[in-house]
Amino acid sequence: MEPILKVKNLTKEFPGVKALDNVQFDLFPGEVHILVGENGAGKSTLSKCILGAYQPESGEIYLEDKKVDFKTPKEALANGIAAVYQELTMIPYLNAAQNIFFNREPVYKGTNIINQKLMQTQAKELLRNLNCENIDTTKPVKYLGVAEQQMIEIAKAISIDPKIIIFDEPTATLSDREVESFFEQIHLLKKRNIGIIYVSHRMKEFHHIGDRITVLRDGKYIKTLREGELSDEELVNLMVGRDIAQVYVRTPNDHSGEALRVENISDRAGKVEDCSLVVNKGEIVGLAGLVGAGRTEMARLIFGIDKLKGGKIYLHGKEVSGKGPSFLVNEGLGFLPEDRKQLGLAVRAPISWNIAAVSLKKIFPHFFVSQSKNDEIADEYVKSLKIATPSVKKMARALSGGNQQKVVIAKWLSANTDVIIFDEPTRGIDVGAKMEIYALMDRLASEGKAILMISSEMQEIIGMSDRMYIMNNGSIAGHIEREEFAAEKIGQMMLLGS
Amino acid sequence: MKKIKQKILESKYVYVVLSLLFMMIISSLLSPSFLTLSNLITILRQASILLMLSLGLTAVVITGNIDLSVGSCAALTGCICAKMLVADVPVIAAMLISISIGLIIGVVNGFLVGVIKLPSFVATYGMNMVASGLAMIVMNGGVIYGLPAKFTTIGIGYVGSVPIPIIISGVMCLIVYILLQKTTFGRNVYMIGFNIQAAGYSAINCLGTLLAAYAFCGVTGALGGTMMTARLNAADAGMSETYGLQIVAAVVMGGTSLLGGEGGVVGTVIGAIILTIIVNIMNIVGVNSNWQNFAVGIVIILMVWIDIYTRSRRAKKLI
Ligand SMILES: Nc1ncnc2c1ncn2[C@@H]1O[C@H](COP(=O)(O)OP(=O)(O)OP(=O)(O)O)[C@@H](O)[C@H]1O
Ligand SMILES: [Mg+2]
Repeated sequence: MEPILKVKNLTKEFPGVKALDNVQFDLFPGEVHILVGENGAGKSTLSKCILGAYQPESGEIYLEDKKVDFKTPKEALANGIAAVYQELTMIPYLNAAQNIFFNREPVYKGTNIINQKLMQTQAKELLRNLNCENIDTTKPVKYLGVAEQQMIEIAKAISIDPKIIIFDEPTATLSDREVESFFEQIHLLKKRNIGIIYVSHRMKEFHHIGDRITVLRDGKYIKTLREGELSDEELVNLMVGRDIAQVYVRTPNDHSGEALRVENISDRAGKVEDCSLVVNKGEIVGLAGLVGAGRTEMARLIFGIDKLKGGKIYLHGKEVSGKGPSFLVNEGLGFLPEDRKQLGLAVRAPISWNIAAVSLKKIFPHFFVSQSKNDEIADEYVKSLKIATPSVKKMARALSGGNQQKVVIAKWLSANTDVIIFDEPTRGIDVGAKMEIYALMDRLASEGKAILMISSEMQEIIGMSDRMYIMNNGSIAGHIEREEFAAEKIGQMMLLGS
Repeated sequence: MKKIKQKILESKYVYVVLSLLFMMIISSLLSPSFLTLSNLITILRQASILLMLSLGLTAVVITGNIDLSVGSCAALTGCICAKMLVADVPVIAAMLISISIGLIIGVVNGFLVGVIKLPSFVATYGMNMVASGLAMIVMNGGVIYGLPAKFTTIGIGYVGSVPIPIIISGVMCLIVYILLQKTTFGRNVYMIGFNIQAAGYSAINCLGTLLAAYAFCGVTGALGGTMMTARLNAADAGMSETYGLQIVAAVVMGGTSLLGGEGGVVGTVIGAIILTIIVNIMNIVGVNSNWQNFAVGIVIILMVWIDIYTRSRRAKKLI
């Protein structure tokens, strides 16, 4: 069989970085070819070159043995290459159906009038195939959760009926159940002889769907291997170029004194009802649940972004119910939101400004700002978190997804609050960096900070938490101590409530 | 050397400065009397009021909003100031009261945009009508002349050979520059403009910053209005009409993007000067006033076009 896609000696440079250096790649019909590598290795860049979103400096791309040189993603799409980007690209004010059929809406015969009814039916059908029949296709997508939006993106790519689909970290925002139905679709696509390029940091997914794996490191092609040829550890070492141990390290420490107490809080939208929890100093407390269970909503409520309908919140014993973020940060509460592009970062602002956004008043208490001191502080975080960038003066937009996430983390580290809510802290982060973030959270806990961690990755939340609350449909369905952690039990509570 | 060259080329103001130079060269070719010291001082003096009016607006536009009420805020405060002066209110008191009125207009604008969350375009357009309506009510079709000399100095006086309005606007420029570029307040103004949601999640006091920016815009509007009154030694309700949207144009031509987060005072200074030069040279050469608006319009469009074009190129370099 002939490959449908061949990439030869591809090189792509950005000012100060060689994002791709002589990379090769090929893809057979009906194959899932996985791209792996650390944050900034060049995976997204390679995908975007194939898609025509970036123009490479040199190298060739062949589609079914014909040399192609797409100038825009639209051109690539016309030739049968679709993509689901790492960052969501939907139009927030349009509903799911309008987004899926954007620019190719079904019309009444012989007219230019959009057939809304047909569009809705087709959109529902597509989503039903993805087991997402409960997504409201008539609501503007900005009112939907990240995971739901992601499923709509996937439905959109599939609906185009392409020869090749590129998925850039499609599951980063999904919960296990959604991942499962997504994988079922992938198997169907494979049967239809569609070639799939799949970028992911989640190794356990590779066994489920992968055929071959190509490893990139620092923009260079390292190796292509068959799925299962190497163990996970060997693969990680190949990606990182050094040996790392993949374990969740928790240093035992005593949890003395209450840091955060939440009593019977509810929100006005009805997404959180009568929830209570406690986080002690030195503890990492997990908040598990399906996507849509209300975990992020609860965090927003605690951080004062949304208004309380009822209930009380205490920080270090002091009541802070109804206060806004500025007040709460001064009292020592931090919140790392899950949507880094919309809520975590000002992508057009320099990295250094982003890192200092929360702590600005602390760094410069006398009203005047020194850019060079700001840069110095940012440089320290760039070093300690290994953020891959030539300069902190660059816009945050220029960073790879994982490195953007690290900037958000740096921002909250520099704020140095003693209670931190992490919402999906390792989303889109490579294994090496994940381990660093786990180590960091562990260190924060042993320094006596209190951490509330929201995560959709079962392994991670089991590995890192001292205790865990499980949310189901807006309420706390259960509370488990570390000794009793068991994936089945947790999963059951997440699905069914207690 | 190479580094310096690159730095200059990457600076956001290169093209704005180049346009200014270009404009000056053309003008001096058109008329030998353009490039005389006295004419240059005249230009700066004429520009100083437009500049004052655009200063606070620069901050507002950086937050990603707009204030269309600056012109009528200036007219209203100027008229009230004149009314008080002819009623023998002490000069300092009259000016302070006018500035407070500007401040109140700004705070109301900020409240409408930040708390009630009206689109700034609509809210401040409404305020524009309210303020100009108030000015008409106050003046009732009349004109006030003959203000105390102590007051008119701020419009027509000199320190040595430098006109006082240039000094006042120059000092305000410096203050606004420092506020925006060198303080935590200024940083927050930019962060709100870049992404107000992320700013909120970063515990930045968005509402306070927005209110302050609008309040400041009202203050510079009032300052511009009193300077205008002093310069004309007269006040009437329609006196700021010539400025109108030129105030917005000066800001935008200087490279401050309506998207928010970009630009600054330096650009506004150059924008205001360019706008003034066009009118100045047309007056010197004797262009029919019917054609003047037409020409100003063309230049505004060209400048914003150049700015947007070079910005996208610069963005590619910076990332
Ligand atoms: N638009 C851009 N401008 C400048 N540099 C860029 C741009 N996009 C990517 N880069 C740089 O190119 C390199 C590769 O980035 P890329 O996004 O391909 O990484 P990635 O492998 O997808 O990483 P991640 O796992 O974090 O998503 C990084 O060093 C990044 O900073
Ligand atoms: Mg990527």
